[in-house]
Amino acid sequence: MSCFALDEERFRLCCRLLLQRSDQLRDGWSWNVVQGSEEGYLKKTVLRSDSELHATPTAEEQQREQSAAAPEGIRGHSEDDDDEDDGACTVLESSRQALQYEYHVLYSCSYNTPVLYFRAFTLEGRSLSLEEVWSSVHPNFRLRLQESPLDTITQQEHPLLGQPFFMLHPCKTEEFMKPLLQAAVDQNRPVNYVLSWLSVVGPVVGLHVPLQYCETG
Amino acid sequence: MADDKDVLRDVWFGRIPTCFTLSQDEATEREAEPYYLLLPRVSYLTLVTDKVKKHFLKAMRTEDVEEMWFEYEGTPLKWHNPIGVLFDLHASNTVLPWSITVHFKNFPDSDLLHCPSNSVIEAHFMSSIKEADALKHKGQVVNDMQKKDHKQLWMGLQNDKFDQFWAMNRKLMEYPTEEGGFRYIPFRIYQTTSDRPFIQKLFRPVSPEGNTHTLGDLLKAMYPDALTNDGEQKRYQVVIHGIEPLLETPLQWLSEHLSHPDNFLHICVIPAPSD
Repeated sequence: MSCFALDEERFRLCCRLLLQRSDQLRDGWSWNVVQGSEEGYLKKTVLRSDSELHATPTAEEQQREQSAAAPEGIRGHSEDDDDEDDGACTVLESSRQALQYEYHVLYSCSYNTPVLYFRAFTLEGRSLSLEEVWSSVHPNFRLRLQESPLDTITQQEHPLLGQPFFMLHPCKTEEFMKPLLQAAVDQNRPVNYVLSWLSVVGPVVGLHVPLQYCETG
Repeated sequence: MADDKDVLRDVWFGRIPTCFTLSQDEATEREAEPYYLLLPRVSYLTLVTDKVKKHFLKAMRTEDVEEMWFEYEGTPLKWHNPIGVLFDLHASNTVLPWSITVHFKNFPDSDLLHCPSNSVIEAHFMSSIKEADALKHKGQVVNDMQKKDHKQLWMGLQNDKFDQFWAMNRKLMEYPTEEGGFRYIPFRIYQTTSDRPFIQKLFRPVSPEGNTHTLGDLLKAMYPDALTNDGEQKRYQVVIHGIEPLLETPLQWLSEHLSHPDNFLHICVIPAPSD
């Protein structure tokens, strides 16, 4: 096993360190154990306003994306004034809605990596569909992720709770963590695998890791 | 390697006689007769029930139809588990045909994954094969395959083509002779007594001392309650593909011969019938 793989013991240690810092920063992470087993997972709940979800891509960006995706024949239409009004309208309407996101970090013994599971609800308790989740991912991420042969965000059974969750597939994790960990080794500085990984994958689905985590606390 | 081809065939062609009945809660225009089908153990419910859907839709108005889902005695059936696992776990030791209730509304979002198309089943199936290979060969075999090879595995399952599937799957079953087996055995142990869907951990086919690990060794390490101690009455049955393999069976052999097409060895621990 390479030194870049994460075994379960080190996963636990990384989580403990992350939790200590989260407590200091009041960032809301907690450790949850599964009844009748010694296994557990990190959990954090975040309230996201829908305006935040849609604010990132500007109307201009969205339009550019739309016209790029549209077939030749109808490309001209999206530059109408009408369409711009429509765009503004959507943002206004959706800004009234807030969504509750629940993020879980689990350990995968098959891939020797952490895995991010999440689910999202409206305030009325309706759970978001996979399409709705994809539409909340920033277009820059979305295009890159959907190029991958294996859909990167899929609905999967939570392996500890047995309930449907969305999951960012872990099969590429070791690949993108390698250079990051190598750099830390080269510069002889300590690195928290779980924290670094979370700061890479979290933002894709709206989970931000404050920079203060990396300041010594 | 897998020489016992008869076993592979028996596993592949295992069928469960099933009776599908429309739920009483569904609004129908005319009475819907039950529908009978032989379900392949190694396939997925949503992959082999197009005919069931067609049959019941004839009795319903289109506006009353949402995503189809299945239930057995109050338990929503998780389509992402192989059919044989669902049967062994929930309906072993009951009379045949297996009686499944069909629903077209009130999809249980908090229990079941959505299955809008066969491509979702394909993605789920390939992701299981990938995970199994990560355990068996660090993912090297599945990553060396081409896209058409992956497709061959899926098409083999989808079209019930044993030879097509196994021509490719045997590559996933290879291992260096000197190592005596896979790196780790891809297995899942299911039980119905807790919410936790299954137990899955790292377990090698051979002990550090070079001894062959058996099914009994695996259970002792993962789920000791499933084993019967001397002089005790048997509390649990350990079932794979509807049979109780001897606990002395080498785990590597089981992994090569009794794994499902998704390359996992699915083991059900169920209460022993009291008689």
